[in-house]
Amino acid sequence: MSTPAAVPWRQQPPPTPAYTAVPPRRTFARPEPEQSAPEPKPTPRKVDWPQGVREYVQRSFAPEATVPGIEREDMEKKLKQIISEAAENNTLLAVDWNSYPLPQHFILQDRKMALGVDANKTAWTNGSTSDRVIPLNGHTNNVSLSPSPKKRKSCDVPLTEPVDDNQPPWRKTNNRNVFEDRITYANQGQADRVDKRQRKNQDTIAGKGSSKFPQAELEKRKQRFQLAKPTSQSPHPWASPRDDSENEFSAGPVVGTCQDLEKKYFRLTAPPKPHTVRPLPVLEKTLELLKTKWRNENNYGYICDQFKSLRQDLTVQHIKNEFTVTVYEIHARIALEKGDMGEYNQCQTQLRALYSQKLGGHPEEFLAYRILYFIHTCNRTDMNDVLADLTPADRRHHAVKHALDVRSALALGNYHRFFRLYLDSPNMGAYLMDMFIERERLAALANICKAYKPDVKIRFLTEELGFESDSDCIEFLCEHNAQDLLKEADGDVRLLTGKAGLLFETLRGAAFSKVDIKGQI
Amino acid sequence: MEEVFADFRRAITEGDGYGLAATISPIAPEHDAGRLYAFFRSSNAHQIDGDIRYAVKYNDTLRLPRPESSAWNEVFVSYWKAVGEILAAEEATNQGRMRDAQWNRVYDAWKDVANTLIKYHISGVFPAWTIPCLYLAGKYLRTFAIKADEQSARVKGNVTFNAGYQDDVVSSIGKNEKLEDAARQLNRMFALCLGDRAPIEDSRKWGTYYTANLLFKTHFKLNSINLSKNIIRSIQAQVDMPPLEAFPKSHQVTFKYYVGVVAFLQEDYVQAEKNLTEAWELCHKDAQKNQELILTYLIPCRLITQHTLPTTALLSPYPRLQALFSPVAACIKRGDLAGFDAALVAGEDEFVKRRIYLTLERGRDVTLRNLLRKVFLAGGYEPLKEGQTEADRIRRTRIPISEFAAALKLGMGVDGQVLEDDEVECMIANMIYKNLMKGYISRERAMVVLSKNAGMAFPGTGV
Repeated sequence: MSTPAAVPWRQQPPPTPAYTAVPPRRTFARPEPEQSAPEPKPTPRKVDWPQGVREYVQRSFAPEATVPGIEREDMEKKLKQIISEAAENNTLLAVDWNSYPLPQHFILQDRKMALGVDANKTAWTNGSTSDRVIPLNGHTNNVSLSPSPKKRKSCDVPLTEPVDDNQPPWRKTNNRNVFEDRITYANQGQADRVDKRQRKNQDTIAGKGSSKFPQAELEKRKQRFQLAKPTSQSPHPWASPRDDSENEFSAGPVVGTCQDLEKKYFRLTAPPKPHTVRPLPVLEKTLELLKTKWRNENNYGYICDQFKSLRQDLTVQHIKNEFTVTVYEIHARIALEKGDMGEYNQCQTQLRALYSQKLGGHPEEFLAYRILYFIHTCNRTDMNDVLADLTPADRRHHAVKHALDVRSALALGNYHRFFRLYLDSPNMGAYLMDMFIERERLAALANICKAYKPDVKIRFLTEELGFESDSDCIEFLCEHNAQDLLKEADGDVRLLTGKAGLLFETLRGAAFSKVDIKGQI
Repeated sequence: MEEVFADFRRAITEGDGYGLAATISPIAPEHDAGRLYAFFRSSNAHQIDGDIRYAVKYNDTLRLPRPESSAWNEVFVSYWKAVGEILAAEEATNQGRMRDAQWNRVYDAWKDVANTLIKYHISGVFPAWTIPCLYLAGKYLRTFAIKADEQSARVKGNVTFNAGYQDDVVSSIGKNEKLEDAARQLNRMFALCLGDRAPIEDSRKWGTYYTANLLFKTHFKLNSINLSKNIIRSIQAQVDMPPLEAFPKSHQVTFKYYVGVVAFLQEDYVQAEKNLTEAWELCHKDAQKNQELILTYLIPCRLITQHTLPTTALLSPYPRLQALFSPVAACIKRGDLAGFDAALVAGEDEFVKRRIYLTLERGRDVTLRNLLRKVFLAGGYEPLKEGQTEADRIRRTRIPISEFAAALKLGMGVDGQVLEDDEVECMIANMIYKNLMKGYISRERAMVVLSKNAGMAFPGTGV
């Protein structure tokens, strides 16, 4: 126990000491991930034991496995305990019973523990029948962590946390809720519930036995883990000890040490290693770099990915300041420009909360976008809420006022004003308005076709509906099957409004019936 | 304790559901203000179970079936605990030293009471006539949830930041954790009433509308109005539901009110008007507050569907509604655009709070119609042709756009916004499109040509 585990203890198979009394195991080979991968399925208790378990029982009582000093009675007791615990934890199928240490092994362990002496020398010669009961998991933990090469056997025990350790990271998620990282919890309560559930699982898997050890032991164990950490950079990533059980659920912020400016986004399923996270000064440089790159290369796929990793680094380090706001604002604007409403909405939601903390930024600009967005989604409930939250100061702000004017123009059917406002929208409002401009043009046309007889000049429509040119306007009309309703007279193209009423009324109805909403705010 | 159980025994023997519910009220009755306190002090956590068992189970006069007496026992034990929490919370509030999450604990304790009642109603241990107890539990569950949420919002603020390793900083905004939970419990109550298969004389179905109304209230508070539509739909889907008229009037009025408001918010003004009118007619004449609530939505509704305004006589008993609607109504009537806009701005906060702003805003169309109608009236009649008499004369129906433009300029006031010519046309086009005016615009002649048929130019206004 005193040997520090500075050696990567999972790397090489340990030399088997000649004096080991424990029965030979079948294999030293690390179980393939596939072997350990099966999800612990809920096994109905009190049914047929799996084949593996039965063979394990047979092996335990085989004559060659007999250890002097261990009575059959003790064996039965231990065996019962091992299996019932596996059943309780639903790991009956997950355990690789072929290579699982025999009960004799655990009994010796118990005795060693009870005596508090080095088992290497005394365990098997000690004839006392101490039957101190330590839960199975306690053993595994203890054994698997033991620095003594002699106890290395447990690394073959794919029963508890080590199962995870044997797996490559992409497989690792399978042991938890696979979709967990895709869930956005509506509220903290929900998240807490899930969290609790996981914590409970974890308790049953790993934690149970540990509480039986004195605090000092636990501390020592922790230290060993920390010592073992650097080995995670070993050439065999699958062999690296991942001490997820230690800090998986600790919520403390990470302090990054990474100095790279660029980093590909990777959805985290576990707390990140500090050397993969960039600290604030690096992130600030990153943002400058990204801004330049966006200007020069305009590659949205790359930029979006980089911004996501940037946001992630801010989150894991709990950085909430003006810089955070700036990052979200810039990403929102870029997403808006590219029409990526999903990403835009994510940023908008975050910004709303950040603004509520008064961290600076441009709350009015984004408030205006919010209003325009609700016009797009025709969401009266949310629009009413926005109006309810407006302060007189908000209303005076240029962009907010513009958005409110847009809203009221549409509410009153004043398409004339609406298209004037469209041509004169501040910031990036026009990108949002683009989403419903076609719909509103159809509505205005339905209106005009009912009110004007017998026809109107295209010039008039171009002006009223905010088209760039007459030909744009004609193109729009033709796209909507109005080509037969155009006529040329005295050098002007005219739309026969008297006959087009039904066409545009139908188109208007269709355009309003389906509003495409991606990633609602 | 004895008072509570005297009432309990009386209610059980008489089959008095509301009397029974009163025994587990979290508010002391008026004639016995210290009852909760006395009840709580009469026992302690160790003995409460035994005390109540003695009062309920081993009482010879009651002779309740064994499962039912155990169930009441459980209800009263959880009630006793809840009373303890309530008293503690109230005392702390009075002394101004609220501890963290104190109302949360009240809520949790009360939820136990509610869930015990739900449990024994689902299993059929409690007879259907005891359903008022469920009403009471649901009613206060909602109240306590709101208090708990208010308290945690004060403590934590309403933004929760991520502490984990998710991608984004914020994990949730605007929490209403307890109220959302309460909505779930209320939904269980609603479902157990709605789905009761017992013969109708002895069915919990009679609780459907009361619980539905509680759910409506909760969803409105939570701003999840869409969920209210589901309630309406699931009631409509029940084939063996007794007609709404067979339920207590109080249930009917509230239900119709909420169905009306839900329709109102969906802009289904026809349905809204129907339900709100029915609610209005059924509403108790002394229930001034309820009448006010109904009118708050019925008035804007009528403005849209029938272009009618409330009379002063209608509004006079309700000073608040008078203040709310009279200025807007007066401007609509006069065709005073500037005044209408000003009145809308002045009342905006109130209108938005009641969710009627976006509907009232559409009253501007009617205002504009009234203004343009004045222009039409001022235009007089076409000169009589030979052989025509006074009776044959028709109004001048070809009106230059410039006349309307002048009227709009006047209507917007001296310092109002000046409309461009095309915008005037746009406003007129809107009138025609919305059937407030009948006719068409001729751009060539810069004229509006209105319907010649008498009473058709401005439909519904007599000209």
